[in-house]
Amino acid sequence: MKKFLPPLIPLVVITLAVESSVRSGFVPSYLVPAPSAVLRALINSRDELAAAMAKTSAAALLGFALSTLTGIAIAVLLSSSRAIQRAFYPYAVFFQTVPIIAIAPLLVIWFGYGMKTVIASAFIVSIFPVIANTLTGLLSTDPALRDLFRLYGASPAVTLVKLRFPAALPQILTGLRVASGLAVIGAIVGEFIGGQGLGSVVDVARTQQRVDKVFAAVLLASVLGLALFGLINLISAVTLRRWHASEQAS
Amino acid sequence: MDLSIDSGEFLAVLGPSGCGKSTLLRMIARLSPPDGGRIVTEPEQFQTAFVFQDASLLPWRTVLDNAALPLELLGSGREARYAKARAALAQVGLAEAEERYPAQLSGGMRMRVSLARALVTEPRLLLMDEPFAALDEITRFNLEVQLRDLWQRRGMTVIFVTHSISEAAFLANRAVVLARRGGKIRLDRHIDLPSDRTNDLRSDPRLGHEMKLLMGAMEEE
Amino acid sequence: MHRRSFLAACGAALTACSKAAKIRLALNWKPDPQFGGFYAAPYQKHGLDVEILPGGAGTPTVQMIGAGSAEFGIVSGDELVVARSRGNDVVALFAVFQNCPQGIMVHASRHLASIGDVLKEGTLALQRGLPYARILEKKYGFDRVKVVPSPGGDISAFLRDEKFAQQCFVMSEPLQARHAGVDVKVFPVADIGYNPYTTVLATSGAQLKSDPDRTLALTAAMVAAVRGGWRAYLNDPVPTNTKMHDLNPSMDAAAFAEVAEAQKPFIETAELGNMTTERWTTLIGQLAELGDIPRAMPAQECFRNL
Repeated sequence: MKKFLPPLIPLVVITLAVESSVRSGFVPSYLVPAPSAVLRALINSRDELAAAMAKTSAAALLGFALSTLTGIAIAVLLSSSRAIQRAFYPYAVFFQTVPIIAIAPLLVIWFGYGMKTVIASAFIVSIFPVIANTLTGLLSTDPALRDLFRLYGASPAVTLVKLRFPAALPQILTGLRVASGLAVIGAIVGEFIGGQGLGSVVDVARTQQRVDKVFAAVLLASVLGLALFGLINLISAVTLRRWHASEQAS
Repeated sequence: MDLSIDSGEFLAVLGPSGCGKSTLLRMIARLSPPDGGRIVTEPEQFQTAFVFQDASLLPWRTVLDNAALPLELLGSGREARYAKARAALAQVGLAEAEERYPAQLSGGMRMRVSLARALVTEPRLLLMDEPFAALDEITRFNLEVQLRDLWQRRGMTVIFVTHSISEAAFLANRAVVLARRGGKIRLDRHIDLPSDRTNDLRSDPRLGHEMKLLMGAMEEE
Repeated sequence: MHRRSFLAACGAALTACSKAAKIRLALNWKPDPQFGGFYAAPYQKHGLDVEILPGGAGTPTVQMIGAGSAEFGIVSGDELVVARSRGNDVVALFAVFQNCPQGIMVHASRHLASIGDVLKEGTLALQRGLPYARILEKKYGFDRVKVVPSPGGDISAFLRDEKFAQQCFVMSEPLQARHAGVDVKVFPVADIGYNPYTTVLATSGAQLKSDPDRTLALTAAMVAAVRGGWRAYLNDPVPTNTKMHDLNPSMDAAAFAEVAEAQKPFIETAELGNMTTERWTTLIGQLAELGDIPRAMPAQECFRNL
């Protein structure tokens, strides 16, 4: 309980401040909805929001899973040779810099309206941190340990599986933490164009000037992002608990 | 340089920083190729082990798994390599620690695991690159005695690179001092001390005498 | 007559001031013929220094007026009524489109007879949050057609798929489609009886009330300038089209000319920009029935003919 108290206090304070500003009329309710109005919207539209959240969650999770597997695979490939790295890494950077809003309509052409486009969008937006962090981790192996493995005749494959990959795990998990939030963002953007899930709720509610519903959907999207982030943290705690400094001293 | 080493020797390699003593060790281990000349061994191939300055253990594995690593890489089965690893750990006095993780050990204990790992394949040649440099003095003294004892019992050849004149004199039965540059050998000397060496020897004037000779070769520049 | 001389007097009063009033006008789309009169307007002659802020998809002009980030904005009639119901005091001053030019366009080859037929199969791209969309849903149901978000001016999906129907501005997307070689049929939204004023110049009612002398004069000058601009543009759109084309190269000069011509029937009326109480009352009633606003409001509060 002690861990949750410090972040809760500012949240409560800000919520009360916003509520009173809107109620008193100091801040117009058509610009910022009162937290109570957001809560009401959550309750009144709970079926619609629940269904939307299920869709967005599924797309974000699948997109994230895909970018995790593909990103790690690409990083392993890039780490295998300096030549390959120099030739192909710039293209990986492309995933980081491409503005998803601009290419989302292209995704609709290739994948149609619906889940596939949303997953593709989540994938594109979240893959780069996985590649970058995994690559850094794989390239930072202790040279002495590499020598040790060579001394006993370990093949590159064995060295990858038994040494380089476990050593890179903390760095990989860092990349996954970043990618998880991005996958949610990517899903929402894909939904603006592809038309489903929380992104669609936001888009439609915005047109109707229902700021309370917009905030309700955005809140749920944040909860989704937090849940994914928490999942990665849990995995990190379990796998790194016994040996990595980041999961020990506290 | 032209250097000949006999089987069963404990050779200390001394020299100032940058003189190439670590490189020499890596070449002998066949981790780096020489620029010119050759490394010839009789027989051609045999089990070599290397101990680095950092214990360099795999932090995600237990002490037992770390000690057993060389046998695992060489294809040994689980039961067989665990048995040998336990024996090696017992030799360095760490039998109780086999389920612990490196993060839970002190520096000295980690170095002992590294040593056990080196010994697990029963190597004929043991190469050591300033392994005790990062440890405190008492731990270092005790590990030196332990190392010497292991060497005597196993009959392996040890090449020990070090910065420390006292360490070289205490451990080795032959010491080689390298020049600052160019790989030349300044001094190649049989260490004239009894073969059983305990911590008592540290205050013995004979040790001081050997050290003086070595120091002289080091300072010549 | 009486009002005209009042306006002239206000305009003169403003030009008498040495400093021109600084004004921001926020558009709700990129510069194109629907805003022609605003770009043609002789603001300086009326003592105004107007900066036109082009918009795009989702520009929240109604909120911008409420928040004070623009003195004037272009909104649609229905979004103005909804904004008022939420406490955002926005007032309409000049309606460009007397009749709503929104519609649904379909491939002519489908030989559909009415707007209800569009909802029987295929895909329909529209902005689901708009009142007309919900009237359609209430009347015909969306269970047989696949509803997707409107691609906003981009007809590539429409061109690729014969069963794809799309929300459009009657004088815009259909012309593009015809140029691309596809024959289209358009069902105007007005056919289902929904006809809000569109592309409406609006301002903050709160501001008007707060400093009536000055802001009323300013607003009147703005409307006068805009009216003059639209007269000029309807007469000869060419110079203004060139100006807008520079700002929005995505449409070529020929398209600008074609759309400017096609939109005339929606704009022309006895007194440009004027609005009636009846039309606003009808709209308010429709929105109340849809549930978009909690209750009807007096139509007179929504607009002023200056």
